[in-house]
Amino acid sequence: MKLLWAISALSSFAIFAAQTPSLADDEFADLAAKAKAEGEVTWYTAHFDTALVGKIGNAFSAKYPGIKVNGLKATAQVSYQRLLQDLSAGAPQADVFSSTDASQFVELARNNALEAYRPQNEKKIIPAFQNFDPAGFYHVTAVSLVAITYNNQKVNEADIPKTWQELLDSKWSNKIALGDPNFSGMVGAWTVTLQKMYGWEYFSRLSASKPLITRSIDDTVTILNSGERMLAAGDPASTLRSTAKGNPLSVFYPTDGAIAVVGPSGIVAGAKHPNAARLFMEFLLSTEAAQIEAEAFEQSLRPEVPGAKPLDQIKVNRVVTEDILSNLKDVREKWRNTFGK
Amino acid sequence: MTIFQIPFRHSGSGIKGATGSGLATGLVWASVVAALAFIVVYPIVKLIVFSFTARTGATFDNYFYAFGRVRYLEALWNSLLYGAATTLVATLLALPLAWGFARTKMPGKTLIRAGLLGTFVIPSYLGAVAWILLAGPNAGWINRAWMFLSGAENGLFNIYSFGGLVFVSALYAIPYIFVYVSDGLSAVSSEMEDAARMLGAGTIGVAVKITLPLVAPAIFNGCLIVFLDTIALFGTPAVLGLPAHFNVAAVQLLEFFEYPVRAEAAAAYSLPLIAITCLALWLQRVLRGRRSYESVTGRTSAHVGAASPAVEWILFAYAMLILTLAVVLPVACLAKAAFSVAWGRPLTLANLTITNFSELLSSTDAQRGIGNSLAIAALAATNAVALGICTAYAVARRVFPMSSVFGPISLGTLAIPGITLGIGFYSAFSTAPFRLYGTITIIVLAFSARFLPIAYGSCVSGLAAIGTQLEEAVRSLGGSQLTSVRHVIVPLLRKHLLSAWILVFILAIRELSVVVFLAGPGSRTISMLLLDYSEGGNLELTAALGLVLLAITLIVVIAGQALLGRDLLSPADKS
Repeated sequence: MKLLWAISALSSFAIFAAQTPSLADDEFADLAAKAKAEGEVTWYTAHFDTALVGKIGNAFSAKYPGIKVNGLKATAQVSYQRLLQDLSAGAPQADVFSSTDASQFVELARNNALEAYRPQNEKKIIPAFQNFDPAGFYHVTAVSLVAITYNNQKVNEADIPKTWQELLDSKWSNKIALGDPNFSGMVGAWTVTLQKMYGWEYFSRLSASKPLITRSIDDTVTILNSGERMLAAGDPASTLRSTAKGNPLSVFYPTDGAIAVVGPSGIVAGAKHPNAARLFMEFLLSTEAAQIEAEAFEQSLRPEVPGAKPLDQIKVNRVVTEDILSNLKDVREKWRNTFGK
Repeated sequence: MTIFQIPFRHSGSGIKGATGSGLATGLVWASVVAALAFIVVYPIVKLIVFSFTARTGATFDNYFYAFGRVRYLEALWNSLLYGAATTLVATLLALPLAWGFARTKMPGKTLIRAGLLGTFVIPSYLGAVAWILLAGPNAGWINRAWMFLSGAENGLFNIYSFGGLVFVSALYAIPYIFVYVSDGLSAVSSEMEDAARMLGAGTIGVAVKITLPLVAPAIFNGCLIVFLDTIALFGTPAVLGLPAHFNVAAVQLLEFFEYPVRAEAAAAYSLPLIAITCLALWLQRVLRGRRSYESVTGRTSAHVGAASPAVEWILFAYAMLILTLAVVLPVACLAKAAFSVAWGRPLTLANLTITNFSELLSSTDAQRGIGNSLAIAALAATNAVALGICTAYAVARRVFPMSSVFGPISLGTLAIPGITLGIGFYSAFSTAPFRLYGTITIIVLAFSARFLPIAYGSCVSGLAAIGTQLEEAVRSLGGSQLTSVRHVIVPLLRKHLLSAWILVFILAIRELSVVVFLAGPGSRTISMLLLDYSEGGNLELTAALGLVLLAITLIVVIAGQALLGRDLLSPADKS
């Protein structure tokens, strides 16, 4: 808990610090003028949660008055589905698309559904996440973790599993909650990566403890909070947001590696508001956005803004996009067979 | 008559010389024909055509794809099971209530009616979210209370099961059956029941052997509506079905819109649902045709007081139990979450807050969602009622030679589950030349079509009660048809129209199944936001928005009842 307070105290200080250089953001003045003429930008996103999406949208509109942000938050599959539905109806509503499933962008780029644009701010993010797509169709705009989350009134920190492997212990039977890779990009990435680490056998064994399976990874917050289950493979950010309200939830970063899911964003080809979309891409990679995200316990992409959990302090297994591309479909099918439809 | 006056059979009574005249009248009828063609006939035809469409031309491939996997077929079968089980349970739960209402002097009728209205107003997916907290196997309130009282290791209920899904869905379907059956009962003369009683039959014996067969048609109509509504439900099975490993057609349909999008296969997949409905409607005709129900004469005295005080109090207790399960506990659950700083903590003074509401109402997302929902529901209700009165009038007064065809067309969307209609509108209006996908307009049009049968039914039953003399007087004085509709029919049917409007408004504001296929970023409704919020793990906001939805609906209902001068669920005066 103390760490949390320290982080949020640090963040509020950092906001203060970050506000000064924003005056020097003249580099986007031209783009901002063109974007203003378009008046709005529509953002389909699987990043973050509704409240945070709203905050980022409001901050963008505050910085660039006259440009409204229509943020539409849903799970990775649902967002993607809506985008494809729009595209097949010949009416792309989204200008910017953000997801937690990087493989979607590979598909979109292959189908010429994205516009190449390299944000200037992209050079300023943590180097490890730069140049994610050499062709420049999509860029990392969020990094999320999957870790072990738990209800600290139901289980003590001393007793919780310290690794993904320990989650298989039969004493956790009927005590675990998971999202579904068929709906959630985060869970998809987690599943693919754990399969790579431990083979599908891991999930066959996990299914023996009858986990409760919900649609999105964030549903686990509700399930843990109600005490329905005590452990989950959850998103630390949504969990810690609930903790900050006073709910009895905690996060443990497993020692065999929290799973780091890279969430890209791209501009939809034929977008109705192309300039606003470019400006918004810049904003997603700005220190302002990083600041708002960090305050909401998300990871930060800007080295100057400390995020929820410094990535060099914990072991992290980064999800490989190629693995998602080649294995996700298969994993989703296997999931249905292993855990039931 | 009831609020759901869907005339499964009807006939017209013509006014001699009532053929339309005048340019204005002609224009009105032309626009009615155009409206029906545009929002009822075209989407259905387009849906069927779409299901045979491929980029290269006509094809059966969509059908092979849609029905080519066991998983998909299983989901269809599951929907049937789910629909049938929900209908059965809802009927069993509702029958004692309806009987008690129509045949006994059970206490607390006003309270119970208000409670049933509350049940009707709560969307079942919101009820499902609350029931997760009530009957989650390990931590649900009810299960914890049970474990505490009995010392048992495990809870009593598991909401994440087929039974749980059916139970929650049935709970919120009770008002439909109740309204049909209590209405049917008050229309059936109790003479036969009295006779049986005089011959020595007991209360239960009379109820089962005499009353039940007499109101069987009313029960069947109620069942039909519940079945159709259930197989189209999206939210409740999405929330409860996945953890229960139970996939249904409505949820499966949305999967067809995943990459690669197979909207055409979705169209093909949604068509058997129409076939099933048609089968049910046909069955209803057959069942009805076999018997004569001349005892349903409408104005005879229904005997109230068929049960002893003990039975009446048991019925009252039963009604209170149902209302506790459907309204009191779920709303208490949502209220606890909505007014808590942290809902996972006990309810103490320090944990109480209204910030969830201020956060909600200050978010542009929620503001727009609430505005959209209000606009969509009001516009759809207005459209449906306006079109309903026109078509009902045309049928009832045989305005022109072919006008009886308006009847089946106006009732047509009754046979189409909401999700199928959603895909119909998607295929009809999303592409050029309309390009309405993601707009409020497409949702308003879809809702107008979806709820037309309700408005039409209400108008038909209202018109049946109005004699033709007044109109004849207008006509003989040289007034046009339009004049007589505007100055005679509409004022006389004012209350019918208003109650139909309120009913469509309530149904539209909570509707989710159609919206999931049609909403875009600018046209999201409260129901869509509820689903998104709950998936975001933010129960405090979900609950707060749910309460806002209930508050809005209640305001409309209360205002409407004040205007109507009566209870929305009670029989309307037939004048």
